[in-house]
Amino acid sequence: MNALSPVVEMNNIVKRFGGIHAVEDVSLNLYPGEVVGVLGHNGAGKSCLMKILSGAMAYDSGEIKIQGNAVEMSSPIDARHCGIETIYQTLALADHLNAPANLFLGRELKTRFGMLDDRKMEEETRKALRSLNPNFRNITEAVMNMSGGQRQVIAIARAIYFNARIVIMDEPTAALGPSETAMVAELIEKLREKGIGIFLISHDMDDVCELCDRIVVMKNGRKVGEHKVEDVNKDDILSLIIKGELPDNWAPRSRMSA
Amino acid sequence: MTGDERKDLVQKFAALFSLVVLIVAFSLTSDAFFSLGNAMTVSLQTTSIAFLGIGVTVVILTGGIDLSVGSVLALSGTVAGLLVKAGWPVYAGMGVGVLVGTLCGIINGLVVTRLKLAPFIATLGMMMIARGVALQLTGAAPVSQLGEAFGELGNGAFFRMLEKGANGLPHMIFPGIPYPVVLMVLMAIVVAFILRRLSIGRHVYAVGSNEEASRLAGVNVNGTKMFAYATSGFLAGVTGIILMSRLVTAQPNEGVMYELDAIAAAVIGGTSLMGGVGTISGTMIGAFVIGILRNGLNMNGVSSFIQQIIIGCVIIGTVYVDHLRNRR
Repeated sequence: MNALSPVVEMNNIVKRFGGIHAVEDVSLNLYPGEVVGVLGHNGAGKSCLMKILSGAMAYDSGEIKIQGNAVEMSSPIDARHCGIETIYQTLALADHLNAPANLFLGRELKTRFGMLDDRKMEEETRKALRSLNPNFRNITEAVMNMSGGQRQVIAIARAIYFNARIVIMDEPTAALGPSETAMVAELIEKLREKGIGIFLISHDMDDVCELCDRIVVMKNGRKVGEHKVEDVNKDDILSLIIKGELPDNWAPRSRMSA
Repeated sequence: MTGDERKDLVQKFAALFSLVVLIVAFSLTSDAFFSLGNAMTVSLQTTSIAFLGIGVTVVILTGGIDLSVGSVLALSGTVAGLLVKAGWPVYAGMGVGVLVGTLCGIINGLVVTRLKLAPFIATLGMMMIARGVALQLTGAAPVSQLGEAFGELGNGAFFRMLEKGANGLPHMIFPGIPYPVVLMVLMAIVVAFILRRLSIGRHVYAVGSNEEASRLAGVNVNGTKMFAYATSGFLAGVTGIILMSRLVTAQPNEGVMYELDAIAAAVIGGTSLMGGVGTISGTMIGAFVIGILRNGLNMNGVSSFIQQIIIGCVIIGTVYVDHLRNRR
């Protein structure tokens, strides 16, 4: 694994809705095995930026490179071909379908006659879900009847089952209890070890400081800060989010303590 | 068995149970009801609702609605009739008729997916357009004298057995299984297979359940909707040629309000108008509930006005029971 070349390069991305600048000239890199926290107020543009990377939203200008190759990101399928998987805040599950149908939605396993291979899908789903949560039983139930935690597990399983190289997590712990949050933290650690790059959108300062290697702060569509997590403390991050700049007397925290 | 399958089974059983109750009740009140001949008649009468119901079910599963099927069937039938009248072979005329129906469905799909209009509006427009074209083409007059071959599809039957009676007139031993009934069973099986076993069928449910999630998961949402509306149009076309064949006349006024019967059949069979929930077998049961109600009430001499009232009550009643069960 070459840790020096970024797996994702987003250069000068611009997205406008009429006169509103949702994303204004933002550049961002992600390296293999790195967790980058993307922070900002609601409406700061972080979700837009991530949606652009996951192919769910078209961008007006800019360039996206995946492992050094420029790619056209015009649909979620394009993103998927690049090995980008996304866990959406809304989970993006079809409520009336069961867990296997959701896990394989859009890329169903088929028998050699072109029919759905429900047995295989169920088997694979059982394996995938058990590896995340050993107590997962009722997998053939419609997901609308499942708990928030179970639904979240399905959404996470869908993102990691297909050997993603880049995972985008939008508020992955918002619907979870403490033990499940710990499970997600453990999972992020596991993915990092495998060399998968992760974008983590979160409002939870503790999560961010604990899990991320680097943080990127957005405000009004612009990137206002990008720092190693050990260089900033929570107050610095808050200052970036709220004022768009670091406190006046700021110096990299890692150097100060050294 | 999972909770979901059990619920599905309970629902089927409830609908099937009401069907049995209807049959028993009508058998007791009318001597002529419970006979093989009448069974075939009911089946034949139910074919139109069933064909349309199957198509409409697919559309409703995607979260849409198709109000145009009654008019589209009239247009398909009249086009077929006019072509045969103009000297085309029967199969070619009917083929074009079905094609016209499919085309109407495709236009519905394009208006919904490209112009992004609400399905209700799109198909309401098509309902008027198709009816208007059918009336314009025929000058609002029925097209008759289409020849015996035109009536074969609607009136023919497998295994019909006749014998010559003592008075020299043919006497029917077994009425046979009408072609439309065979076709209905075939279509139901094919569409049910598509919905259950093919990925396009899975996508139909997924799009109706959560359109945005389906899009994000890489499902071709527009393609799935196109498939649903085209299927509905195709089946409306098939209904059209069968109905006109049964009458051996192409009637531009045929099929008024049939779309509502079709939707009622789907809804009685447990299809949710919100999308994502429903089965073809349920719709078939729903179609037969309506068909048997009509037939049985006719046999008991109940006026068609009262029949309307009863069927209306049945629709509200069954859907209410369904709601109660799902709310629990």
